[in-house]
Amino acid sequence: MSATMNPSAADVEMAPGIACQVRDLTVAYHVDGRDLTALRDVALDIHQGKITAIIGESGSGKSTLALALMNAVSKPGRIVRGSVAYRGMGDVIRMRPEQLRRIRGKSISMIFQASQNSMNPLTRVGKQLLDLARSHRMPNPRDVLREAAALATRMSLDADRVLTSYQHQLSGGMRQRVGIIFSLVLKPDILLMDEPTTALDVLSQSSVLEIVRSIQRERQLTTVLITHDMGVVAELADRVVVLYAGRVVEEAPTAELLRHPRHPYTRALIRAIPRLTGDPSQAKALEGQPPALASIPAEGCVFRNRCPHRMDVCETVLPKFAMDADAGMHRFACHYEEARA
Amino acid sequence: MKSLPARLVRRILGGILMILVVASFTFFLIHMIPGNPVEAKLAQLEIAGVQPLQAQHEVQAMYGFLPHQPLDVQYVHYMWQLLHLNLGKSITYAGESVTHLLLQAMPWTVLTVTSGIIVSFVVGILAGVIIAVYRERRISNGLTLFSTFLHGIPQLILALLLAYLFTTIWRIFPYGSPYNAALHPGWNLPFLGSLAFHAILPVAAYAISSYGGWALTMKSSVISVLGDDFILASELRGLTSRIRIGYIARNAILPLFTTLTLSIGFMFGGSVFIEEIFDYRGLGYMLISATGNLDYPLMAGSFLIITTAVITANILADFLYSAIDPRIRVQ
Amino acid sequence: MSQATAPYIGTVPPEFRRPSRWATSWRAVTRKPGRVIGVVILLFFALMALFGPLLYPEHLPINAALLYAPPSWAHPLGTDFEGSDVLAELITGSRYVLSAAALAAVFTIGFGTVAGVVSGYFLGRTDTVIMRVTDFILTIPSFPLLIVLSTIWSFGSPIAMGLVLGLTGWGGLARAVRSQTLSLRERGFIEAARGLGLSNIHIMTREILPNIAPYIAMNLLLSVTGGIYAEVGLFFLGVIPFQANNWGVMLNLAFNNGALYTPQSLLYMISPMVCILLVTFGIVLTLDAVDEILNPRLREA
Repeated sequence: MSATMNPSAADVEMAPGIACQVRDLTVAYHVDGRDLTALRDVALDIHQGKITAIIGESGSGKSTLALALMNAVSKPGRIVRGSVAYRGMGDVIRMRPEQLRRIRGKSISMIFQASQNSMNPLTRVGKQLLDLARSHRMPNPRDVLREAAALATRMSLDADRVLTSYQHQLSGGMRQRVGIIFSLVLKPDILLMDEPTTALDVLSQSSVLEIVRSIQRERQLTTVLITHDMGVVAELADRVVVLYAGRVVEEAPTAELLRHPRHPYTRALIRAIPRLTGDPSQAKALEGQPPALASIPAEGCVFRNRCPHRMDVCETVLPKFAMDADAGMHRFACHYEEARA
Repeated sequence: MKSLPARLVRRILGGILMILVVASFTFFLIHMIPGNPVEAKLAQLEIAGVQPLQAQHEVQAMYGFLPHQPLDVQYVHYMWQLLHLNLGKSITYAGESVTHLLLQAMPWTVLTVTSGIIVSFVVGILAGVIIAVYRERRISNGLTLFSTFLHGIPQLILALLLAYLFTTIWRIFPYGSPYNAALHPGWNLPFLGSLAFHAILPVAAYAISSYGGWALTMKSSVISVLGDDFILASELRGLTSRIRIGYIARNAILPLFTTLTLSIGFMFGGSVFIEEIFDYRGLGYMLISATGNLDYPLMAGSFLIITTAVITANILADFLYSAIDPRIRVQ
Repeated sequence: MSQATAPYIGTVPPEFRRPSRWATSWRAVTRKPGRVIGVVILLFFALMALFGPLLYPEHLPINAALLYAPPSWAHPLGTDFEGSDVLAELITGSRYVLSAAALAAVFTIGFGTVAGVVSGYFLGRTDTVIMRVTDFILTIPSFPLLIVLSTIWSFGSPIAMGLVLGLTGWGGLARAVRSQTLSLRERGFIEAARGLGLSNIHIMTREILPNIAPYIAMNLLLSVTGGIYAEVGLFFLGVIPFQANNWGVMLNLAFNNGALYTPQSLLYMISPMVCILLVTFGIVLTLDAVDEILNPRLREA
């Protein structure tokens, strides 16, 4: 089959500096005979060599988004429409399974939320790395082991021991780091991290983030960080996308977003960051619950039920994005803010 | 967690203890049989005009002990003979040693049971994988129903049905002996071929009766493994489907080894029916005919050997299990 | 607060009233046609065992001129190798088979539940000993054991048969009940009851037992099938003296009189087997309904 016959191989037109372009991405879960929309018309750009954070509460659809970025939404979920195009690879949503398999783990790799449990418990770590290398037809699988050993040493693990171990012989923190080795060892172009630190204690968290940041800088790795933690975002990310009830509500460079948050939800998130200095009681949790999948309003603003600035128009009209190009492509979707500006 | 050698020793000691308990059971069983067969045999011999000393000698050879001795002496004698693998002498097969008879019977049972376990294990696992992978499709529902149905049919009925349907109603398979009597037994091709052909129905009876259990257990095991994080991870790491299937298979088959233990006992137990119906002179057949003919030394010996076979097979299954699962193998 | 709710208690609107046990059972059974079939099959066989033998003489007439007769109005299921009516044999044989199987189930459940609860409740040495015995019982193949036991114990009556089957068959249930008890323990059940100063017997019978009752009830039904197989198997092998006709004896006589070699005996051979499979089938289908009645979470809204 020639390259022109295959639409996914064709490079989608992208603005310079963009590594991945998501458009109209809509994902629904089929539950009890109904389609529940988890992501609706999500559009975002992931910048080359930068860390883009996607932040949202649990239930905001961020884990679904992480899977959709690799076209790995599984039943009962389904990608209804939209595209996820990567530079030089094409749209993963329209890829054939074998083509998709080859880029997964090789060009685009993921650090999982449950990285500790991401290994086959019956096979030694080294053997699994070889399985990975063979799956992606690496010319010399031994090189992959050597690279893994180097990464292990860098993460202050005993490389020989780790490679000859089974999962149950490693501690939780060690397994997490081994999971990171799996994600980095084939030198991917794009790294997705789905809540990489939630399962860890504070000390392991910071060391894991340290490692990821240093490798990201060194390799200029395009990174997507999916998290609920504004503190982590503030520390690591270059750009932030705020997700609420399956919709993008705001997107901006991190510094700009922290300084001038426009969407009321973003403001609430920032207020909720506990600070090391100062009165912890000043950190205010957002009131109310994020909507359950079945109760996301079908029209109007999805945030209106928790919004302090709720207006009549919010009930019926979905707010369009307003763009502030001067502030590093800062965009937000809020009737109230738009009216104020 | 214990190291492998320590585990090995523990399991084997446990097995030996169990065999001793079963042996003691058969000893006391013979004493509890109404009419005291040992004493009766002695009396019978003396009435027949056999010298008392000679009669005692014969009875001791049969049962391993004499009725006039104190119980503890009898017990020690009995166990001492067992230790020398002497199970006494058969009454119906005049003068033949029970050990010898059972050694001849053993291959018939062990070979058919083992073939049955292997066939049902392989087919059951494949079916279980298909049911689990194609969940909610027609083939999966159909296979589940079929497996549940087969699982519910007792070995006796299954064996009778197979024998009746495939040898009498449809004359596809030969019936009545484990090989063609016209052939010369030995390592020659026609004989071995006939042996295999005659073995199809009995092995099928073993296999079908335990197939459903494997299929249904494998199904739930695969479904639970498919939900494990590392399976999603291996998909998202782009591992080839061959490697991923290998990961799933090994992890899903592992828990089945605990079921194997029960299955082995079930299969050997079933040999009683299957050997009776297909006329296989195996251990189960020996047990039945000895019981029917009041040949108590042979009966006790058969029971002891069947139990020993099950216990040994269980220990082997346990070691197979620990050989596959590194969480047990490595300290 | 209490003022607001007090008058409400007496006037629960009918749609919120808890339906009676019988009503929920009826609904659970009738919700799926398969369950209705299962219950009907079981009722049919129960009635057959209760009243069927009253309609037939104890010693069946033998018509030597009619061997392996095909089905007719006089003999709906044909005749056997000596000319007896197969249907009459089936009906007179059902009483022993079903009563012994039911008793076997009761004994199995009794022994298994006691061993499992005691083992899981006391733990420690009691647990070790009981579980050793359980493993032993589970390891020894039960048919050979039953055959050997038949030489010292004539279990010809349904009660004796049920007792023997119960004694040799409680292992699996004991293990399962023990793990159920352990999971109750993990949920803090036992510690809480002990904290209230309740006696061991009270905790076991009033706290633990009701919680595992649904599980036991399901196994009671399941054990009936095991009981049928075991007794039919023993009669088939001919190690127990026949006192009366039953399905296992039918199979034994059929087998030993060469019915296996002639295609004419089709109905005679198949009939008792079909009865056994039908009862099993009925039990499995009914279990589905029982499961829903006892585990209300499964009930569909």
